[in-house]
Amino acid sequence: MKLTVKPLKQKDAGRGLAAIDRVSMNELDLENGDYIVIKGKGDSQAVARVWPGYPEDEGRGIVRIDGRLRQEADVGIDDNVTIEPADVKPATSVTVALPQNLRIRGDIGPLVRDKLSGQAVTEGQTVPFSLSFGPMASSGQSVPLKIASTSPSGTVVITDSTSIEISETPAEQVQSGGGASAEGVPNVAYEDIGGLDDELDQVREMIELPMRHPELFQQLGIEPPKGVLLHGPPGTGKTLMAKAVANEIDAHFETISGPEIMSKYYGESEEQLREVFEEAEENAPSIIFIDELDSIAAKREEAGGDVERRVVAQLLSLMDGLEERGRVTVIAATNRVDAIDPALRRGGRFDREIEIGVPDKEGRKEILQVHTRGMPLHEGIDLDQYAESTHGFVGADLESLARESAMNALRRIRPELDLESEEIDADVLDSLEVSERDFKEALKGIQPSAMREVFVEVPDVTWNDVGGLGETKEQLRETIQWPLDYPEVFEQMDMQAAKGVLMYGPPGTGKTLLAKAVANEAQSNFISIKGPELLNKYVGESEKGVREVFEKARSNAPTVIFFDEIDSIAGERGQRQGDSGVGERVVSQLLTELDGLEELEDVVVIATTNRPDLIDSALLRPGRLDRHVHVPVPDEDARKAIFDVHTRNKPLAESVDLEWLASRTDGYVGADIEAVCREASMAASREFINSVDPEDMDDTIGNVRISREHFETALEEVNPSVAPETREQYEDLEEEFQQAEPGQDEQLGRTFQ
Amino acid sequence: MTLEQFTREEGQVARRYEYEDSTVMAVDFGTEEADASVDVVDGTVIVVLADDQYEIELPETAENAHTFMKNGVLTVELEEEL
Repeated sequence: MKLTVKPLKQKDAGRGLAAIDRVSMNELDLENGDYIVIKGKGDSQAVARVWPGYPEDEGRGIVRIDGRLRQEADVGIDDNVTIEPADVKPATSVTVALPQNLRIRGDIGPLVRDKLSGQAVTEGQTVPFSLSFGPMASSGQSVPLKIASTSPSGTVVITDSTSIEISETPAEQVQSGGGASAEGVPNVAYEDIGGLDDELDQVREMIELPMRHPELFQQLGIEPPKGVLLHGPPGTGKTLMAKAVANEIDAHFETISGPEIMSKYYGESEEQLREVFEEAEENAPSIIFIDELDSIAAKREEAGGDVERRVVAQLLSLMDGLEERGRVTVIAATNRVDAIDPALRRGGRFDREIEIGVPDKEGRKEILQVHTRGMPLHEGIDLDQYAESTHGFVGADLESLARESAMNALRRIRPELDLESEEIDADVLDSLEVSERDFKEALKGIQPSAMREVFVEVPDVTWNDVGGLGETKEQLRETIQWPLDYPEVFEQMDMQAAKGVLMYGPPGTGKTLLAKAVANEAQSNFISIKGPELLNKYVGESEKGVREVFEKARSNAPTVIFFDEIDSIAGERGQRQGDSGVGERVVSQLLTELDGLEELEDVVVIATTNRPDLIDSALLRPGRLDRHVHVPVPDEDARKAIFDVHTRNKPLAESVDLEWLASRTDGYVGADIEAVCREASMAASREFINSVDPEDMDDTIGNVRISREHFETALEEVNPSVAPETREQYEDLEEEFQQAEPGQDEQLGRTFQ
Repeated sequence: MTLEQFTREEGQVARRYEYEDSTVMAVDFGTEEADASVDVVDGTVIVVLADDQYEIELPETAENAHTFMKNGVLTVELEEEL
């Protein structure tokens, strides 16, 4: 029965499964788990087990198989294959041949059996055998095992009772039925690409369709598309996608890696370009892949030399010149799409530009599944969890996460390895397993690459470390955590998440601490901007700084941007002209970024200040920093909570009563309380160090207690930093913010002066 | 455990597909264990492999559960409640 081939979902790949839709399954009289033979082009065939078809395929005559099976059967996506139920006998013995360069000591027969167990094989077939270790492990490749002979002959399934023999002749010398993949064509299947389904569909539509069925385009009376430009941040999979397309389509493949064609001789660079295109035309249908297009096709007006300009011009005319190009499609990749000559970016040259973005959670999961497919993972590892906690990671970052985890596992067994010996013991190989801890360790060392420049170590502060401030914490949580944790509620209520929060209050009340806690608890990426660092001596650079911050935040969403001391960059406009208006332009830039034409999705701004009256009023209106949170001077209960936080790990004497401390510290803010605790501990230490012989210190240190007297001394030394008047001023301010438009605060400003 | 927990906790490939008239759950145990057996007792699917036993609870609404196991692929078919 003829069925159409489609790709399998990433998570099901690599197990020799073929998902057949249910109608076809009934017609063929198959059940889940049955063996089938998939017959593709020529004599190629593959054996697979039946897996229930995806519901969306029902009745469409579809068989979904992964890249390995497609390769074995020599078919591409959307090809037709013949499916037959297979008569598979259990194998009594199988002889396999290993590649010559594989150096492993010991009997790897059981290992091979364990790995291959359950797989159906035929004589002459090459089976990828993932060692996840050994000379080829680092490249993530698997070792090609060749099935030299089977008994009984025909298609057999390897079971636990099959005896595996290792052939003396290496795999290279065993006569192979099917030819190896063509020279220069990369070995990447569509299943090796995670999280880019839509983009991949677009690319395939642009490239596969015209190659396979040019008559469709003739019928429509249009020219088939000529080129696709892939662009996006580094590491998102542009090159990988081009490789996969080249591999899956049976087309001639030429690559131009940007700088390579440059030559010191006059005219030779252009010549090389022409040669590549000619070569492609002769072997049509073919694909030309230009990696790092920006390096050879930069804007002509900006290009440095004559040669660069001529190369661009040559490329232009080759792409869309007088001469017909025939069935040659160009795929180009770049991560600086704005740097490319505008003449290339029109229809007829690069007809379609496809953005390959930073993957979302689902995408990240798929990518992780791809990279951990051949990895012996410990049972408890939940990839979902890692997909969730890797905001802003691109494919390359996730790959290095998987690799680092595996390296950690390797490090664990390294003491058992004898590096002197030529070969590695098969038992050791078998015991390798990547554990949860390996992953956690690896995650610590890897940062999302797009964030490297602005990355800050997320502080280790939890809500628990913030004493008091219950209401403030709740408000922050509502604003920042809820939209990320309960997006469905926001959708149902047709509600936009708040864009920003302004925290104001006297110095030392814990605004920055709160921001740290938010950064830690919100599970988002965190960018911290210390106001004045954005300012630059060159005209326009300060504004550019603001733009860049927001751009980074957007491409790494969800992100929390934290502006400390925002009054330094967002002062009232129209007040002074001393800095030739830089300050004002920075404010304007901030305003447009926060609420401009471009949407800020999943980006929250937190700003703190002690002088909210100085901030430009336009910044404070709804839609920008729409929530104003007063972080007040703590009252007695709050002070007790703060004392609790700061004395949690200190050895206190029985007589020290937190309520007593709280009642004694009216007007103290969080920072003052911290100072009191520090002073008290200092006093206790002073007493201890002066009175005890250094030699006995180790024995007696456990008995030191901070007593009430020490706190008395500390209280005398540390005075409240906020005067009652200041507190009143902030309270007035809070009232002002709550009732009136913050623009009319002329009077209020004066109370501060 | 239910199928969802099972999928998360064990290394197996387990899927749940909702068709128009029924729900199919499939678990791939791999074909190492040739002599696996499967049974349904009181809404619990019990799979016995060579040295392992798995119990998977079915949803309470499921009445006509049809299970079979072939070459390491466990299939549980549930008729949809009407």
